[in-house]
Amino acid sequence: MYNHSNALKATAIALLLSGCATQSPTLSSGNVEYGDSKAVETLTNEFGSTDLQTIAESMASSLLQSPALFAKKRPLVTVAEVKNRTSEYIDTKSITDSIRTKILKSGMVRFAVDTSAMQTQVDELTRQNQTGLYKKSKSKKMGQMEGADFRIEGTITSIVKRADDVKDVYYKFSLQLVDIESGTMEWADEKEIRKTSNKSMF
Amino acid sequence: MSLFTRPTSFVLPILLTVTLSGCSVMRSYDDELKQTLALVEKGQIDQALTQHETNNTGGDFDLLYYLEKGELLRLKSLYKDSAGAWLLADQKVNEWENEAKIRAGAILENVGAVLLNDKTRRYDGHDYEKVMLSTRLALDHLLTGDWNAARTEIKKTHEREAIIAEINAKDTEALEKESEEKGITTTFKDLNGYPVETLNSPEVTTLKNGYQSAFSHYLAGFVYEALNEPSLASPGYRQAIELRPDIKILEDGLAALESRPSLRKPSETDVLFVVESGVAPALSSITIPVPVIVSNLGVIPISFPVLHSDPSHTLQPVTVGIDGNNTLPLAGVTSLDTMSKRALRDDMPGIIVRGILRAAAKTMSQKALMDQGGGAAIAGIALNIANVITESADERTWRTLPATISIARMTLPSGKHDITIGSSKQSIDIQGSHAVVVTRLLGNQTYWSQPAYGPQMPVYTAPAIAQPTKNIAGSATKKKSLKSKKKKLKKPVHQAQG
Repeated sequence: MYNHSNALKATAIALLLSGCATQSPTLSSGNVEYGDSKAVETLTNEFGSTDLQTIAESMASSLLQSPALFAKKRPLVTVAEVKNRTSEYIDTKSITDSIRTKILKSGMVRFAVDTSAMQTQVDELTRQNQTGLYKKSKSKKMGQMEGADFRIEGTITSIVKRADDVKDVYYKFSLQLVDIESGTMEWADEKEIRKTSNKSMF
Repeated sequence: MSLFTRPTSFVLPILLTVTLSGCSVMRSYDDELKQTLALVEKGQIDQALTQHETNNTGGDFDLLYYLEKGELLRLKSLYKDSAGAWLLADQKVNEWENEAKIRAGAILENVGAVLLNDKTRRYDGHDYEKVMLSTRLALDHLLTGDWNAARTEIKKTHEREAIIAEINAKDTEALEKESEEKGITTTFKDLNGYPVETLNSPEVTTLKNGYQSAFSHYLAGFVYEALNEPSLASPGYRQAIELRPDIKILEDGLAALESRPSLRKPSETDVLFVVESGVAPALSSITIPVPVIVSNLGVIPISFPVLHSDPSHTLQPVTVGIDGNNTLPLAGVTSLDTMSKRALRDDMPGIIVRGILRAAAKTMSQKALMDQGGGAAIAGIALNIANVITESADERTWRTLPATISIARMTLPSGKHDITIGSSKQSIDIQGSHAVVVTRLLGNQTYWSQPAYGPQMPVYTAPAIAQPTKNIAGSATKKKSLKSKKKKLKKPVHQAQG
């Protein structure tokens, strides 16, 4: 009887909870669907989402095994430019952003603002220190930024060949970790990708 | 067969003729635009806009209406209104993109064009016009100072180019198959009386294709560079070089990409001068007798489009004068005249196949009516008249586009400068890290643009307000050394060579 009463209570709670739960309405024309962001994309042989994810995954895991990063406690790293030596409009910052996110999640390193975010950083410090709007005791001081221990930089190159019915694209993504003080290269790795398509694709 | 038993066979062709006389099939786009452009050449932009509206009534405006309107508004320096018109054109191109991806390879599936003429097809724009639309929208945004919106349009340009390449490949494959099945081997070189030389000149045949322009890609490089995205700027400059090799300004764009930011001082502006001349070529119709092998119908007159280079005969300037003491050479990097010829050359196989199939369909229906005799024969005669009236090539093309685009680039001290192009002089206020100055020459008129402020490149130093006294003394020394450095940098950083 005791058990039976508990079961009833549990059922009642479950019913109440299911009644409370609100399901988000769906507005759909039936023509749009969400897809798997990790799905392998082979729509064209231009640089695509799968290439970006593959490179970021491969480089981040390789970099996290670099002994140079373990030598110092949570070293400070900055991301320099990955030079695009291809004729394709590849947003290499998007690749390095993904690599940085994966490495940051490991908790082993810290990242200093890179050149593209520097202006925002300077603007913020300027606003806090020179507009007269902030309490001096509460504003972040100028001249306290930390210099990075390492710099990540790299290149992406491609070789494109066309035969009668086939287009072959070879990408090589190279990344390296440079000790800023000594100028020594502490780690480097490459990721190669080959994509081949037939005539109807180009 | 009695006329009264099959009235539709008699009435339909006549009805068709009467109905069509008032619609697009009878419209002469070239005549309409001649009037509009004549007003633009006289500097009467308001009247040109009124003329454009008079030519387009009914409310359901097509892509071409918005393309021409955007250009006229731009010449009037109404960049936001121009962008508004072009964004409506862009929506239509987007619709085409979405449809085209699905129907790629179905190049001959337009019943209207097969039965009447290409004018009855919805105007989807030539491929180079679709790409130019994004480039010109980017220029509009740059002239209003919205560099991020310009970046969006530039990104759209390369995405659009990729879609066009994909669709063209599929259409070409389908066309080759259809021609083989129908036994059509006619090329534009076989058209007796067609000005083959317009589509067969070396500058036309050496172009990579009819839709990618060196200017669009150089502008992409410039905008990405201004927004501190060198990894995207480099493919822009690189593709411009691939499209137009051996032009120094294009090569310098890539070669100096890494060194340029450190050479330019915060008080200087990297200026891209864009000089557009003339108008895009006009299309007219030429009728040529073509042997129609389909059903052995003999020789039938078919109409084909012919391009006529810049009817405005505007002179293309070769230099830009700056403050009366500097002369920059202008490099002609893009010729829309040549691109449109290349586009027509690439479109000709489709035009020929559609023309032959149309001629075959018309002749066979006319023959069937004549064979019936009586009232049907009268209907056959009426259909013949309708065929003669309606047989005309598609003259529609974005006419207010320039014939050529030339560029020059120079780093100048920010501020007002007297710029001279041809016989026209204008004081232009140039501010920000980068600026684009667009000038359009048409007939005897010069339409200048006043660029909005460009983006500010990162200056990694805070303003010197809160510096202690000893540092102020230090900064004074620094100023002195900067002054001597500035003297050295007076010469142009980048000069074009024609």
